[in-house]
Amino acid sequence: MKTSRTSLLTAAGLLVLGAAAAFLAGRSFLSMRAAEAIHPAPGLTRQALLSDYFPALAGTPGDTDVYVFEGPEAGGTVLVTGGAHPNEPAGFIAAVVLVENLRALRGRVVVIPRANASGFTCNDPQEANPQRFTVPSRSGPRQFRLGSRLSNPVHQWPDPTLYENPAGQMLSASEVRNLNRCYPGRPRGYLTERTAFGIMEVIRRERVDLGIDLHESAPEYPVINAIVFHDDSAELAALAQMSLQDEGLDFRLEASPQNLRGLSHREWGDAAGIKALLIETPNPVQGRLKGRTTAALVVEGKDKAYLKAARLGRLFVPYDEKGIPLEERVARHLAAISAILRSQAEVDPAKAVEVEGLPGRAGILEDGLGPFLR
Amino acid sequence: MPEYAVFLIMVAVFVAAAAVLKWPIGLCLMGAAVAGALAGGEGLPLRHLVEGSFGFFDVMLIILTAVLFMKVLQASGALDSLAAVLLRVFHRRKALLLLTANLLVMFPGMITGSSTASVLTSGPLVAPVLMKLGLTPLRTGAFIAMAAVLGMIAPPINILVMIMGGGVDMPYVGVTLPLLVIVVPLAVVIPLWIGFRHVKVVDAEEMKAILPPSVYGTYGLKLYLPLLAVIGLMIGERALVRVMPDPGIPGIFLAGSLLGAVCGRRFNFWKVSRRAVEEAMPILTILAGVGMFIQVMTLTGARGWIVMTFLSLPGALLYVAIALGMPVFGGISAFGASSILGVPFILALISKNALITATALSAIVGLGDLIPPAALAGRFAGQVVGERSFTRILRYCLVPALAILAWAIAILLNASFLDRFI
Repeated sequence: MKTSRTSLLTAAGLLVLGAAAAFLAGRSFLSMRAAEAIHPAPGLTRQALLSDYFPALAGTPGDTDVYVFEGPEAGGTVLVTGGAHPNEPAGFIAAVVLVENLRALRGRVVVIPRANASGFTCNDPQEANPQRFTVPSRSGPRQFRLGSRLSNPVHQWPDPTLYENPAGQMLSASEVRNLNRCYPGRPRGYLTERTAFGIMEVIRRERVDLGIDLHESAPEYPVINAIVFHDDSAELAALAQMSLQDEGLDFRLEASPQNLRGLSHREWGDAAGIKALLIETPNPVQGRLKGRTTAALVVEGKDKAYLKAARLGRLFVPYDEKGIPLEERVARHLAAISAILRSQAEVDPAKAVEVEGLPGRAGILEDGLGPFLR
Repeated sequence: MPEYAVFLIMVAVFVAAAAVLKWPIGLCLMGAAVAGALAGGEGLPLRHLVEGSFGFFDVMLIILTAVLFMKVLQASGALDSLAAVLLRVFHRRKALLLLTANLLVMFPGMITGSSTASVLTSGPLVAPVLMKLGLTPLRTGAFIAMAAVLGMIAPPINILVMIMGGGVDMPYVGVTLPLLVIVVPLAVVIPLWIGFRHVKVVDAEEMKAILPPSVYGTYGLKLYLPLLAVIGLMIGERALVRVMPDPGIPGIFLAGSLLGAVCGRRFNFWKVSRRAVEEAMPILTILAGVGMFIQVMTLTGARGWIVMTFLSLPGALLYVAIALGMPVFGGISAFGASSILGVPFILALISKNALITATALSAIVGLGDLIPPAALAGRFAGQVVGERSFTRILRYCLVPALAILAWAIAILLNASFLDRFI
């Protein structure tokens, strides 16, 4: 009798402890759903939602802001997406810097900073990433979310046993929540497929000529500090690379593999017929070799494990005690966008896009990101 | 505190809690994770502990529903009846029996990429047959565990290769041949090595004496409907991927279990479900604890330290690191080790054909399902044959596991040569 009562008390105690843990952890997880503010530059001409292009996304966690900058002169239209993988912060922040500083002089720029909005609401289990990181801005420190590579499983679950993406490629189950494996999307598919379809609708309805998808990869991964190009964008990519070399920035060129399907640099070109490029910068917090996982690692990019890996020749980018800070990676993204726009004007003058307000690399490296965030 | 010290503290706390305090393994892992976080200066990172454990949420559902399915098949009489059929067919042909039994156990793993699915779906079918024909429970458990590991590695579905391929942008194309090269010789040698000298040939009279009680006469083909439904749905979700909605493996096992409740001997479904939860609970808590352990290792930098320690090894020692590191880390999680160690190892061997490297590495990391603390294949094989101590079963897995390891390392070393033919 006594043993039975003790067991009951133990069970009750454990249940209370479990409930308390669920409450506190749940509150922490739910806090990720509050989106950080983005303060558009005065040059913004139109702000929309992805659901304005594909109404089925209205009210879903896949809906996201779309910013349109239209110049007074006619020209081409370029789409820039950040945050397709929310654990790759430089692409996201570069897109935010664009929104907060840009003015179009010719043609149009469409920016989607949080391409996979659902992925911003959670972290990748067992990656131990911080939920947020802090970047200085004109009005003081600003916090941004460091999300998951994949859509939130609370929004899209369960994963199928195996995933055949809309382009017909067989992938492991969780890739069904990877936006950059779900192009060209499915209008009645999973949430992530519908998000991809919504972005394809933006491309079609805004008559986009050129798409640039901003990403990061682990320093030990070969496709890094790179421009990945669709077959139809080879000349554009080569010109941009030369322009960047003139600025002292090394970017390698990688052709989009024909048999790797569902990615933006392949399907934007194949399905929508636009020029499609993807930019990769090195992100130490994303890699498997990373040491202690902190918000400082996200921003400063300093990691002694990566330093050791560099000394052993295991990395595909130069890496030293200074690390690879976020501002340097954002500056690389912006420099690449600038070079691509210049090259587009050369390759197809009728579809040229001219902008002002795009922060220069030297300015960011000298003053940090603060002056360029409102 | 240096990362290696944090890791050593985690290991020490785990060992002390398991060996001295005799805590359940899941709690030991959680205790080690908490100790690691405290030692690493992270306090009590509740969010990280919960988040880490959710890394295996889907696997937990698969295990829970698979155990339920196995219990339902037992209760409905389907298992005994099927064992009787197999005995009638194979009692005179022991090599054919062993090879067929091996393929039967491998099959669910081949189409789901999960050794657990193999052990718990077809393991209970072949175990009684093998034991009736003279194989000891320990050898039978080893037979099932090894077949399940081979099923997980075998084509067409090898999730370990998919995970590694995803990390290096290598499409899951052209893997069948390299996987067959790895698996076919092992799938012939290993079952014969474990069973050939111990399974006896029996005549018709003896066979009748050892036949388990069959209820086939009462219920007919309906009795096998749950099993056929599970196999059909597993094949269907693969073959009809564009037509059939994917029910997911837990959904398939659950459907099979519900069907089993009305397709055979009557039983109390509620009681059987409770028994299934009781049996599955220890491994579920281990998986939750493993998730916390990995998350804290990553948080404190211990994971990076381990990966870098392996990658720092020169030349031949890199292969030693692969041979030791991948199975040991796979003992925490084979899928996790594929991503955390498999991808860096593929990149470290980047001069070789990545497809061959990944398939060979998948065979090595698959052995993790035999290694504690998780040892999924070993533990569930123990449940299937009624052996409480799964480590006794693992003793019989040692030589076959070394054979897999040696074969996979040989393929890795000769990847450049094989590249010409594959």
